[in-house]
Amino acid sequence: MASGQVTKRVKYKTSVKDPGTPGRLLLTMEKLAFRPNNPNSASKFDMEFRYIKNHKYTKEGSNKAPMLNLTSNQGVSYIFEFENYNDLQVCKEFVGKALSKSGETPKPADTSQSLSEQPSTEELLLRMNLLRENSELQKLHKRFVSDGVLTDAEFWATRKKLLSGDLSRKSKQRVGLKSVMLSDSKPLIDGRTNKVTFNLTPEIVREIFAEKPAVHQAYLNVVPNKMTDKDFWTKYCRAEYLHHSKNAHAAAAEAAEDEELALFLKPDDILASETRRKIRCVDPTLDMEADQGDDYTHLPDHGIVRDGSKEITDSQNEPYMRTLLQDLNRHSAVVLEGTAIDDEQLKDTQTVAEALIQSKQGHKTANEEDDGNASQEKLNRISKMMEIEDLQGSNDLPLAPLCIKDPRDYFDSQQACAFKTSRDTTIGTEAVSTREAYGSLRDSISQIKVMGLNDPIIKPEVAMKVLSVLTHNISSTKYHLGKNPRESVLDGFPNKIKEDLLHHWMSIEELLRHYWSSYPVTTAYLYAKVNRLKDAMSKIDSQLQVILAEMKESVQSDLRNQLTLLIRPMQQALEAAMQHHDADLQKRLAKSGERPNGYV
Amino acid sequence: MKFQIEDVTVYFPYDNIYPEQYSYMVELKRALDAKGHCLLEMPTGTGKTIALLSLITSYSLSKPQRQVKLIYCTRTVHEMEKTLAELKLLHNYQIKHLGPAAGILAIGLSSRKNLCVNPTVLAAENRDSVDAACRKLTASWVRALAAENPNVPTCEFFENYERAASAAVLPPGVYTLQDLRAYGREKGWCPYFLARHMVQFANVVVYSYQYLLDPKVAGIISKEMQKESVVVFDEAHNIDNVCIEALSVSVRSKTLDGASRNLSRINQEIERFKATDAGRLRAEYNRLVEGLAQRGNLAATDTWLANPALPDDILKEAVPGNIRRAEHFLHVLRRLVQYLRGRLDTENVEKESPISFVASLNTHAGIDQKTLKFCYDRLHSLMLTLEITDTDEFLHIQTICDFATLVGTYSRGFSIIIEPFDERMPHIPDPVLQLSCHDASLAIKPVFDRFQSVVITSGTLSPIDLYPRLLNFHPVVSRSFTMSLTRDCICPMVLTRGSDQLPVSTKFDMRSDPGVARNYGKLLVEMVSVVPDGIVCFFVSYSYMDGIINSWNETGVLKEIMQHKLVFIETQDVVETTLALDNYRRACDCGRGAVFFSVARGKVAEGIDFDRHYGRLVIMFGIPFQYTLSKILIARLEYLRDTFQIKEGDFLTFDALRQAAQCVGRVIRSKADYGMMIFADKRYSRHDKRSKLPGWILSHLRDANLNLSTDMALHIAREFLRKMAQPYDKTGTGGRKTLLSQEDLEKMAENGVQEMLF
Repeated sequence: MASGQVTKRVKYKTSVKDPGTPGRLLLTMEKLAFRPNNPNSASKFDMEFRYIKNHKYTKEGSNKAPMLNLTSNQGVSYIFEFENYNDLQVCKEFVGKALSKSGETPKPADTSQSLSEQPSTEELLLRMNLLRENSELQKLHKRFVSDGVLTDAEFWATRKKLLSGDLSRKSKQRVGLKSVMLSDSKPLIDGRTNKVTFNLTPEIVREIFAEKPAVHQAYLNVVPNKMTDKDFWTKYCRAEYLHHSKNAHAAAAEAAEDEELALFLKPDDILASETRRKIRCVDPTLDMEADQGDDYTHLPDHGIVRDGSKEITDSQNEPYMRTLLQDLNRHSAVVLEGTAIDDEQLKDTQTVAEALIQSKQGHKTANEEDDGNASQEKLNRISKMMEIEDLQGSNDLPLAPLCIKDPRDYFDSQQACAFKTSRDTTIGTEAVSTREAYGSLRDSISQIKVMGLNDPIIKPEVAMKVLSVLTHNISSTKYHLGKNPRESVLDGFPNKIKEDLLHHWMSIEELLRHYWSSYPVTTAYLYAKVNRLKDAMSKIDSQLQVILAEMKESVQSDLRNQLTLLIRPMQQALEAAMQHHDADLQKRLAKSGERPNGYV
Repeated sequence: MKFQIEDVTVYFPYDNIYPEQYSYMVELKRALDAKGHCLLEMPTGTGKTIALLSLITSYSLSKPQRQVKLIYCTRTVHEMEKTLAELKLLHNYQIKHLGPAAGILAIGLSSRKNLCVNPTVLAAENRDSVDAACRKLTASWVRALAAENPNVPTCEFFENYERAASAAVLPPGVYTLQDLRAYGREKGWCPYFLARHMVQFANVVVYSYQYLLDPKVAGIISKEMQKESVVVFDEAHNIDNVCIEALSVSVRSKTLDGASRNLSRINQEIERFKATDAGRLRAEYNRLVEGLAQRGNLAATDTWLANPALPDDILKEAVPGNIRRAEHFLHVLRRLVQYLRGRLDTENVEKESPISFVASLNTHAGIDQKTLKFCYDRLHSLMLTLEITDTDEFLHIQTICDFATLVGTYSRGFSIIIEPFDERMPHIPDPVLQLSCHDASLAIKPVFDRFQSVVITSGTLSPIDLYPRLLNFHPVVSRSFTMSLTRDCICPMVLTRGSDQLPVSTKFDMRSDPGVARNYGKLLVEMVSVVPDGIVCFFVSYSYMDGIINSWNETGVLKEIMQHKLVFIETQDVVETTLALDNYRRACDCGRGAVFFSVARGKVAEGIDFDRHYGRLVIMFGIPFQYTLSKILIARLEYLRDTFQIKEGDFLTFDALRQAAQCVGRVIRSKADYGMMIFADKRYSRHDKRSKLPGWILSHLRDANLNLSTDMALHIAREFLRKMAQPYDKTGTGGRKTLLSQEDLEKMAENGVQEMLF
């Protein structure tokens, strides 16, 4: 969308039953205009967005025609029927944006002073995207901006980094596949009967299809014409079972009898052709196949055959033995490639099969296009790789940026690990009691009193002792709870409390960030802001009190301690801010007595 | 940067240079000045290749009267590509500073399979069928036929190339295989024959070892090289094995069957020619009377693999009378095949020297030594006469003639070993007759004789005094460089115990212990959770790797590993391995991280770098000893003991440790790079084993790291990684500089060189 302006073919109707006047709908940020095809028609009109109260539209997939309904503040509705849903989609978004903007600008004309230059449409779009993708951000935004604690501009001013083009585009990185092999799950055998149970979920099916294109192909061919979904998978599992049992002879025998079963056991032809295609565009500095092509020493029967450095393979029945190693390689390759199938499409095998086909086709055409570019790129890359990095100025390789889906997961586990190891290493000092530590600290202080300061002011051992006692509490919590590195203190609480805590913590962070950044208060605008922030903070503070009080009753005793431990720093931070505010106010009042021309 | 080494101005394509690179160049220059051979060991990760290339090209630039041609031999094609890429970098730099005067022609040379651009030929499956398919289109008699009959298919690329005649030349520049193909396609010329033609004019030729060492190939490609050329064998730590393999042949019953089929086919052809064109056979007879020195006049497209033995004496003599006639020669071959079949049919392992073998062949089959010696060339001549183009069908009989010629030519340094089955699989009868060469100096001797400077270099040549003995030559310079490090960027560790404090080893009696497999698995699981990006694991053999991965899969270790990193594995199928490697690199590039399982002595260990984020940790599971019960190895050890007074144990340890060092050495590429190496076997802590590691690893192997268990290793790894993440001063701290700028070098030139180095 080129922002600024949108034009679409529509039919303008005054009511739903009206046959409508064909014409063009012109949308800009400020207003909308309708130009009928017949210039003589009376239905031509212009209208500014700020007069529009709300908008409705028909949902895609319903039987109705794609329509957009705008209602003005006088209660008149304007209905536009579009030619297709895509057009509607575009206009819908545009109108939504225009409306939100027009609703925003007229409101707090006083606060937006100096700070708020009108953001460009692109930026607005970005902001909306960010809010949509990041639910936490959305919550914060809702809480503060809608409540008038912060203005939109202020809110985004602290998140300039998120808005700087590149990053936001990268955030679209798809979530990759899991590394673990799902399809390799072992069959369940119950001891009593001769029954073997395989468990297949759509996710496993996706993996099977992606890793074994021949199975995928077979599925598309035979299901549901020749056999049912269930039969197909039964047969597949039978083949897998044969394969697992590592009995190549049995597999060969069965395959000879059953055509379809043989398909699952035979090497994959589709895969083979794909391999041939891929090997052609492999990095030449890795290409060992080329190497084989150049090796005349190892003509058949030349060189040393049996000196123990070379291995022997049992080549009988080989086509029926797919090795684990091949499976692993294949699996990793598929994971690396990723798939374009969303989780929503993981309903049943049929949809998975079809979705895969589609994504593959898209992939293929894309591949053919950039084949030429890729080889050039590859060469450039190789020559860059050849350079020795520290002999020359840096030459950054184009690496994919790190994108962690949920940073909290990452840091939590890291922290737990760190705690664990610090425990491991300081295991000797653990025994030190508080009293002992205090004693040694006091000793060294008195020593200083006697001898004055010498080079290490306090002996490192003493410092270590004291520190470890002081931090014992924190680390022990982590230690006791964090036996599993993925588990953090928070997980011990009921879900609601956990979420509340996190939310409060984020809110406080946001508020404090704004609060401290507005010091020193030099303008009336900042003064107002600080006051607003202060009010919000005291509100949260009281909320925290409430939580604490509530939880004292509801939560088990050992968790209560941890909860207070968690909440205390929040309260402290808030208190510090309040105190600073009060002190500042005092100072200001004192000053304003001397200098009546001051602000405020 | 530009600097002087004595009278040579060296152009070096970077702004800075490592001190060891500088001294490497100094030594190399002295060897070139002295016109002698040299042996240089310099750790991986110090830019050996670029130092070598820039000194030798600069040397020939500064001495225009003495045209020095560089023949650069690499182990593998992908290393060849890497070398050419570095050369390109250097060449661009030299052109920028010297203008077109610095223009050189550098080409990589490989087989038809890698250079051909004709789609119909390329459709063939393997190398030999590509060669044959090419011959079918380009052999002189095919082209003669095509001139009369337009329906006979020819190769348009070759025809265009022939038509262009002397105009078909490559403009100066650096050509990788891909560049050659691209150029060939653009001009419509055959890149393979163009490259082969240009070899004699090129300033730098990069090709694989065998083009010099294997007489079969060297006979065709390398015969016109001037004596003044400088020959470089890079990554030469395995050069003795290459030499030995080049002169070894083995015969199986499959080979004999194939050879019999080939013989009857040849017989048919002879009958056909007798009926239609008896004159040809007679002409061949007459030619053979005069000797075999005909090869020089052959059209380039007709050449086949050359004689497997060293060529010198054989060409001058006349072919013995009893095989001059085609039918007689055929009879001789039939008898030979028959005799070999009889020998293969044995119950016990037999070992024999070539002399007694030839004697018994003479009594039983009536074939004397001189006849044997000429077998290969006689076959070659016959196949040309019979105008056979599908040479890939005749590999079996060719093998037999190879064998005959080698056994007839060499009386020492070889042995013939007949085994009825492989000891590791005694239930499967698979008789093999192996002619195995024990003396590495045989194959490399003509190279030392023919060229005035041969440079043998690698990251691991220790003990450096062993190589001159194995290869039987006298280097004028033989030096081993240490590595001056800015910081301790490599961290070797010896892990002797697992997490349960029990020893780990791949020793024969412990190999099948599930506890060891579990401990190894545990080590890897712990490591994948702390080491970022790529991890490489080397196992002692394919079968061991296969077993251990299967057991990890069953015990769930593999699943745990895969929670952190993707897993890629080297298999015996090169195509699959190549793709796995490619994917591994991409997984490291995208930040997902991966583990690569590989095999010491395998193809990957030979020449793939795991530098930077492609390898932050290498784990060597076990010591990669050779299979000591192998009859061939035992024979070779005996030979080494008798001829060079090298003890068996010493040689085995030396060989195993150089492989291990080679595996772990792949992890580092420059001083800014960093990586850890874990030697996971209790035997590494023993002094006699450990001391065989190259000095640059030993000097970083602290005593505290000699006897670790899994948890201790994990702790060290964490600390190391944290330390490496800190910023540091690249030029080195303290008195010793580890990175020299142009200024430093100029200062050094004033104050005398030795002062600042080492």
